[in-house]
Amino acid sequence: MTIHIPRDKWSHSLNRRKLLGYGAAAGLGAAALRFDGMMAQEAVDPTTWTPEFIASQAGTLEVDTAAEMAAIVPLDYTGKVSYWYVGPSEAEPQITHDMDAAFWEAFAATYPNIEVQVTSVGYNDMLDKLRTAALGNAAPMLAKMPILWGVEFAASGQLMNFTPEDAGYSSAEFWPGAMKSVTWDGEVYGVPTNNETMALIWNAALFDEAGLDPESAPATWDDVVAYSAQIKENTGKSGYGLVARVNAGNTPFRFMPQMWAYGGGALDEAEDSPTYQTVYANNEGSIAAVQASYDMYVRDQSVPVSALTNTQAENVDPFIGGQLGMMISHPSEYAKLNDLAANAEGADAELAAQVVENTRYGLIPEGPARRAVVFGGSNIHVMNPDSVDGDIDLDAARALVAFMTGPEWSTKLAWVGSNPGNVRGFQTSWMKERIDTIPFLDVTTSMLPHGIPFPVIPESTEIMNIIIPDMLQNALTETMSVEESCNDAASKIESLLGGL
Amino acid sequence: MAVTSGPDQAVAATSSPTRLSRFWSWITGIVPSMVAHRGDYLYILPALAVMMVVIAYPVYFTINLSFHNTGRALDFDNKVWTGLDNYRLLLTGDYSREFRKVTINTLNWTIWSTLGAFLMGLGAALVVQREFIGRGLVRGILLIPWVISAVAAAYIWRWLYHSDYGLISGVLTELGLIDSNIIFLDSVDMVMPALIVANIWKEFPFAMIMLLAGLQTVPEGLHRAAMVDGASPWNRFFHVTMPHLKGVTIITVLLLTVANLNSFTTVYIMTAGGPANASQIWITDIYRIAFQRVRFDVASAYSVILFLVMMSMGYFYVKALTRGDHRRTIK
Amino acid sequence: MSSAPASTPLKRSKRRKADFWGVAGWIYLILLLLFAAVPMLWMFLTSIKTQFAALQYPPQWIPESPTLDQYRNLLSPSSSVGPEFLRYMLNSVWVSTATTIIGVTVAVPAAYAFSRFTFPGREALFYSVLLRNMFPAVVFLMPLFIVMRNLRLVNNHWSLIITYLTFGLPLSIWLLKGFYDNIPIELEHAARIDGASRFQAFLRIIMPLSAPGIIATAIYTFIIAWNEYLYAVTFINSKEKLTLPVGLQRFFSEFVTNWPGLMAAAFIMSVPVVVLFLVLQKYFVRALTEGAVKS
Repeated sequence: MTIHIPRDKWSHSLNRRKLLGYGAAAGLGAAALRFDGMMAQEAVDPTTWTPEFIASQAGTLEVDTAAEMAAIVPLDYTGKVSYWYVGPSEAEPQITHDMDAAFWEAFAATYPNIEVQVTSVGYNDMLDKLRTAALGNAAPMLAKMPILWGVEFAASGQLMNFTPEDAGYSSAEFWPGAMKSVTWDGEVYGVPTNNETMALIWNAALFDEAGLDPESAPATWDDVVAYSAQIKENTGKSGYGLVARVNAGNTPFRFMPQMWAYGGGALDEAEDSPTYQTVYANNEGSIAAVQASYDMYVRDQSVPVSALTNTQAENVDPFIGGQLGMMISHPSEYAKLNDLAANAEGADAELAAQVVENTRYGLIPEGPARRAVVFGGSNIHVMNPDSVDGDIDLDAARALVAFMTGPEWSTKLAWVGSNPGNVRGFQTSWMKERIDTIPFLDVTTSMLPHGIPFPVIPESTEIMNIIIPDMLQNALTETMSVEESCNDAASKIESLLGGL
Repeated sequence: MAVTSGPDQAVAATSSPTRLSRFWSWITGIVPSMVAHRGDYLYILPALAVMMVVIAYPVYFTINLSFHNTGRALDFDNKVWTGLDNYRLLLTGDYSREFRKVTINTLNWTIWSTLGAFLMGLGAALVVQREFIGRGLVRGILLIPWVISAVAAAYIWRWLYHSDYGLISGVLTELGLIDSNIIFLDSVDMVMPALIVANIWKEFPFAMIMLLAGLQTVPEGLHRAAMVDGASPWNRFFHVTMPHLKGVTIITVLLLTVANLNSFTTVYIMTAGGPANASQIWITDIYRIAFQRVRFDVASAYSVILFLVMMSMGYFYVKALTRGDHRRTIK
Repeated sequence: MSSAPASTPLKRSKRRKADFWGVAGWIYLILLLLFAAVPMLWMFLTSIKTQFAALQYPPQWIPESPTLDQYRNLLSPSSSVGPEFLRYMLNSVWVSTATTIIGVTVAVPAAYAFSRFTFPGREALFYSVLLRNMFPAVVFLMPLFIVMRNLRLVNNHWSLIITYLTFGLPLSIWLLKGFYDNIPIELEHAARIDGASRFQAFLRIIMPLSAPGIIATAIYTFIIAWNEYLYAVTFINSKEKLTLPVGLQRFFSEFVTNWPGLMAAAFIMSVPVVVLFLVLQKYFVRALTEGAVKS
């Protein structure tokens, strides 16, 4: 990195530590209550998290959220906090709306004297808006953002040092990958709220029609290419739901798993101990992954032509309409699918029931190098006072962060879409209820051990949202050859990182 | 604004006594005159005040930032003076290949959209100028595209063009005219023409209404005279109608050109500049560099280049708008 | 071009040519109407489909089971989206109306001054105002955000009203100035002789005569304010303060799209401006003719 952040940005931290002093003392009492959970004692090891293990844990922990909270920030605390997040939009399943509403009710009941200014921002606007607000010193005190974005704000000096310990928890209660995503230059800048991985879903009826085994997912990415071609050939419908729109978070979430599986990557983020110093975008694996996409899009024409202008939101439509064989899917999509089916009437009800009945889910395919998926989710951050309009009420902020990232609400807020950021959430009875009612959870949690976080560098958003999709588009439109487009992306990444 | 103060400051800066005295006599002339007319300024004060708030600082900010480097941390208070580096980066450096490509796209976009909207609007104005039953309704329908929001229009067209589920391909397939769907927005060759058509749809009513107003000024007697002389409709159009439309044509074309150079929503919502930057135009590229690649400094230099182009357009625009203006002022 | 009245004595060949142009004109008009209306029609047809029916391919040309559910949903205060959508609409009405009223109030005296007075700097100032539209919105997002923040107007409708004002001003001032240029100065002189002040003369004589121009500039300003997207998305944060074009975006989430809902919202959003324009368009043409084109 060539540009260093002036350290004097952090001069306010003294003040912060003073403020945190009494909170920490009060937190000791709660420690005994919390540390009897087996998982909290040492860092989480994702490889042991099989669906069986998760099921065996669920329902083993009783949580008294109000008692925990009282130990962190007094329940009669009077204050004010402003908060931005990507709230549930109209297109999301009903349960997400209900849980969101229940959360705010519960917070108001627990902390009746804390006034919260909540702002729900659209997913597609949030990043640009928050950047503008932070630069214009009009940011909220707290912001919950998707995992990829935080480090850019941290590196720009727009976030405040804030660890899970500051919210009364232990860093060991959170996934190591998630903690990595809130760490920049050795400092921690937030608390993970929820973490998830995606999975592959497919339409069994279409598989059957194409002469494929309706009950088994393609095992490798090479199989995906072959299956996709076979579906197109035999049914005339699109096989794989490729997404390659530029500046849509969806694209890297669906393409990077493929790139990593072939042994490629933007940088060395898929390696066991990544340095984020070596560019992988034009190595053999990356070229093979782009080639596979090229084969599907150009050679076999077995994927939707609109892949270049589509976001994932537009891929769900054809899948529901029975026009698309398989795609990488977020748990929320599956929930929405069920929601649509439940609410459909008349002729629609029949069609919807069919789609749900025919939907199967499985692991994301593996490649020659590994099986991989993006380790996704969100973190909550405290903004730097310089970027905020007015002063930060740190205790009110701590109360909201702690309330949101505790075992109860980190589980409930992630109900259909994700998994609790706080791993104690997995032991709660709410987790058990989720596992019992949402079958799809099984497979997305089984993907967790294969989760790879995006490079934790401030340039990550540009690499993932611009350079990688550009690379795909250059190859798929034949503006450049596959190899040229990879070399082009590699040189862009190199010049972005200052020549390394 | 800059128009008034620029040259005068330049004059004031020179130490030549004759210039200085000329400047002084200018000042001693203008100040009492301004004082005498102080009441007049009250009429334009609200308009100017709003303009100042919304334009003066942003222009200063943009020009200033274009000579600085803000770094990744984007600290506007600690920016570093780098002279013309940002301009060099755009015109000859890292961004230049992209910049040239985007410039060609911008020219295509602006020229064809303007030409298309103008010609289509002219035809429309000519046909709806005739008397027929339901003329008001027809005019109204033709005006709808201009009136509705660009966001809504962009979504409608994206839905119409959809490479897999679009209405246009659907209809053509149904009629047996094509075997496989036409790829509009996902093809590097088709995306620009497709966007231009959508843009013409949105803009032609504006040209129509401007030219319709222009047509009202063509004296009916001239047409009759030409008709009696046996002039063909084509000749009448060229020799009677067109000369009367000259002024409104210049203004309409200029306004369309400026609107197209500034047109963000249509392109951004339909393709965001893709695929492979084939539909990237200046204005979307500026947004991309500023907000997505977070290089406000380079984007500012880019904006200044755009300003310069706009200002030269503005020169002609002002000239066209103020034709024969002087004779109407009263003392 | 006006077609030849039957009584005009013309040679047969000329007559046939005129007919040819007449027919060509009608064909052109029909094609034009299709071009203009089909996208709107498709928007409406999509909006009355069910969410599943909208996703079929080849599309259902005419919805098999048309439904007004989306409209009911959007406009009913008791549905899940209804209150929000109605809130956006109210916000849009407020912002657009305020912009229009203030816009006209600001433009009228300015246009009058530019037309009638000879204060120093008149021309330069007039040109500067006209140049406003040369500055692209995108370029000003960041600096204008900083300005609004310093004025403490971020997340406040006034930030939008002030910004939108300036979009409409150049055309408004130019149009109205054209009107005033064409109003004989003698009318004002007469009023002044009757003892009216300069401002009273302006108010009683000039204002009523420029009514078509004022109506036209009002519609123009209203439409701009009603449809603006980019600044609205940047300046406004709270959900309860959003305007319609931004609210429209909320039909897209990270994962799902409700096309019929989106199209229904776009339809509802278009109705007020389209109706306004249909009713008042003759003033618009008249204003352009008298205020701008004729000179």
